[in-house]
Amino acid sequence: MNIWLEQTAFGTWVREGSSFWGYPTILFLHTVGMACVAGFAAIVDLRVLGVASDIPLSPIDRLFPIMWAGFWVNALSGTALYIADATTKFTNPAFAVKMTFVALGVVTVHLLRTRVIRHPAADTGPMPAGAKLLAATSLVCWLGAITAGRLMAYVGPVSGLPIN
Amino acid sequence: MLDAFAKWVVTTRLSAFVTGRPWVWPASETLHFIGLCLLVGAVGLMDLRMLGVAKRIPFAPLFRLVPWGVLGFAINLVTGVLFLAGHPEQYVHNGAFQLKMFFVLLAGINVVLFNLTVFRKTAALGPGDDAPTGARIMAAVSLFLWFGVMYLGRMLPYIGNSF
Repeated sequence: MNIWLEQTAFGTWVREGSSFWGYPTILFLHTVGMACVAGFAAIVDLRVLGVASDIPLSPIDRLFPIMWAGFWVNALSGTALYIADATTKFTNPAFAVKMTFVALGVVTVHLLRTRVIRHPAADTGPMPAGAKLLAATSLVCWLGAITAGRLMAYVGPVSGLPIN
Repeated sequence: MLDAFAKWVVTTRLSAFVTGRPWVWPASETLHFIGLCLLVGAVGLMDLRMLGVAKRIPFAPLFRLVPWGVLGFAINLVTGVLFLAGHPEQYVHNGAFQLKMFFVLLAGINVVLFNLTVFRKTAALGPGDDAPTGARIMAAVSLFLWFGVMYLGRMLPYIGNSF
């Protein structure tokens, strides 16, 4: 399955195409998506943990569509990067760790929005019990996802360095 | 001059530290991406608010996120210096690197200009208030420059020759 994916025309194009619009641009999109998801998630987490606590919680709801857009950009660009090097990524332990952190991180972001940011008393009452634990978990997940993602280039089977 | 600089850098103890220990480069890469997220998360939120997103957030508390953006920048400055110290030959003649540094410089000038001009006026604004036109322009410039920095950083191995 992974070998077949790699050998599809699309996988070959992403990996080997001399087009500037292949691998480099997809990597850039993956970085932009990361900044939107992990960057804003980290700020939301820090706020819930007590940083700049006079920022009202409810308007932060407007950030979540941007975070979800970033997530989908990365789901798509990540799929393309996976197809290009399916066999090495599938067997790289850092990839599995990254996917686990991303899945947990996505759950924490969803829960933060529905349970904390959209809480009816978000700007008037105390935060719901467990809000800080949720934010701390989210922060750990995104730090873990970035770390595991970066380490995919250094541990286990490493995808061939993209051509210049 | 750039070659002389590169030749000198590789003789420093800092350069030996980066190239002599296999964990330094991967750890620095990881921290560089974490710093990126902190910087873009904090600065991006302030820029977006000035551009009219999440307008119910007043500016004064929002500006308390500035130290977190500065922390992200500091992490990336330190790790960036490590990259340059370890393999200056990858960067000094790399057009993407030179343009990236120019963008960082412009972003810094943008921050200084913001502080000298509309910062006080903007910090006094409450929920629902529109940022002054000057602040909106500087916010758009800031977003463009930081995403440009990310683009050029990502292109280092492709436009130039670094890894």
